[in-house]
Amino acid sequence: MNIPTIGAAGANVVNYARGYDFEYTNGMPIRYVGFPFPVAGQPRSVAHSYVFERNDVVTGKPMMQAIVDAWTKPLTEKEKISGKPPEARPEPRLLKADTEDNLQQLFKDMDWTDYNPIILPTEERVSAMLKGTSRKADEVVKVINWPGGARAMTVEKVAVCAVMAGAKPAHFPLILAVSTAVPFGNSTSSMANMILVNGPVRNELKMNYGLNVMGPHNEVNSVVGRAYTLLSKTAGNLHSGKTTFSGLGSNIQYNNLCIAENEEALPAGWQPTHVLKGFKPADSIVTVGTGWSYISSVGEVQLHYRPQHLIRDYMRSLTGMGATVIVTPEVAGILKDAQGFATKRDLSKWLAENVEKTVGSYWGNGVISTMYSSMAMQGLEPFASQRKQDPETMMKPFQAGQVNIVVAGQGQTTWFVTDFGVGRGTKVDDWK
Amino acid sequence: MSTGGPRRVTDRHISEGKENVKKKRLLTGITLTIAAALAFAGLAPLPAQQGKGASGPLITVLNPAIESKMVDRIPLSPRLDTLEGKTIYLVDISWGGPEAAYSVFEEIQSWFAQNIPSAKIIIKRKAGMYTQDDPALWKEIAKNGNAALVGISG
Repeated sequence: MNIPTIGAAGANVVNYARGYDFEYTNGMPIRYVGFPFPVAGQPRSVAHSYVFERNDVVTGKPMMQAIVDAWTKPLTEKEKISGKPPEARPEPRLLKADTEDNLQQLFKDMDWTDYNPIILPTEERVSAMLKGTSRKADEVVKVINWPGGARAMTVEKVAVCAVMAGAKPAHFPLILAVSTAVPFGNSTSSMANMILVNGPVRNELKMNYGLNVMGPHNEVNSVVGRAYTLLSKTAGNLHSGKTTFSGLGSNIQYNNLCIAENEEALPAGWQPTHVLKGFKPADSIVTVGTGWSYISSVGEVQLHYRPQHLIRDYMRSLTGMGATVIVTPEVAGILKDAQGFATKRDLSKWLAENVEKTVGSYWGNGVISTMYSSMAMQGLEPFASQRKQDPETMMKPFQAGQVNIVVAGQGQTTWFVTDFGVGRGTKVDDWK
Repeated sequence: MSTGGPRRVTDRHISEGKENVKKKRLLTGITLTIAAALAFAGLAPLPAQQGKGASGPLITVLNPAIESKMVDRIPLSPRLDTLEGKTIYLVDISWGGPEAAYSVFEEIQSWFAQNIPSAKIIIKRKAGMYTQDDPALWKEIAKNGNAALVGISG
């Protein structure tokens, strides 16, 4: 804009904005003022105190003095610098040779792990992992620009994390396909991801899609989910307090809900998730969903209250940005045979039409408010009309296309509702 | 070739253990020489590796980290001599919802009314979500404004 401009950030992220963001994203030594945190959800008296009584967390000066100074104090020599930056710290392909114990500690010190022991990525092991694909080691899978830094993630870097996670070469094409969705959700909220596998690869790799599918009971479900975490922390460069600032974080990020769909147990007429996304049944597909939360049915289906009604009730607590309902084949069978949902889409449509929450509750969610309120104020529909309604008015937060149904597990009439939004998916065979 | 686990490495080194002990000093010397060469070539050991003693077989592993590319530096715009009589935009990016930054900005507006009343404070909401660009607003501010504050992220 070519005028003096100040960035304003909360105390929770202002150092990121002044440091990492400056070096890898904008290159401009923006003068920031740091407000006490939190800013959102505070009464007007707190906003008043932030401006009239509190200090800027960057300079320590009274807030308005800091703001006026940031607009009026002459530029320092550093603030006048233009052109190419100094070279970034190089990341050599090989680390200095060391003992196993020291290297295990080094990987923790560098925050490259999930703090469980890793398999050290020796040249021998990485070379073996690379035999799991026909892709060249130096091929760039993806350039990761979030949170800044333009890191070129090669096939070899993915192999390094696959080894660290405990994977075998046979797992590598699936991990490469998953890596196209790296890094995992990064937000001050508790974002998380879900990895869903469909198609023949499930059986080829002996993934679990049956009993205890969401628990720690299968090697492939475990190492593929873990590889996604390790890739997010290394290639994704996500480190707590430096580049990620989630208030609570998410335990889901240890394994990223890595499951496969129980396609063999789908009721007649119910198609696998990847087929509903336009792929062929024989395609092996991995889909990475993004969301925050999942809620268990806790108990089994009851005769006196229809399962879709309880699923509906539970879904009222979701934001409305997306949903994936995970049901056992036994629940799917009841929904199909006893409740008349001939297809997954029928159930998705019914849920979209019947899940309701108040307008106040919908807009009371911080993510919804942050994402959509500005659009509502600009008159964009449907947000503008929704936001004008009485807070106690009931509204339908979902559209049928946002509600995905996955059949997994085995042996009990239980289910989960989640808010994971699921994209189209990636072909695993493309990475063989 | 097995990808194995730490056990395979341990087994291999156990079988080579006696010879490794004999060669340890030589190996350490070679390692230090290699490390020095790497350091000379810009491949210095990471800070966390420095100053640690090595007891046991040495292993070479690949680095999982990827070099981040730093961006070109852009200088700041020159500052103002005074805010008296100036037009100042406060831009709400809607982080945290419509009341978060906006309430703070109205308080800033109130502060100016009391302390620098000749300054004209204009509060604007940026179009779209906080991640989206708003070229029309930046154009308006560049044309009509003398200073701006954008936020509040958090």
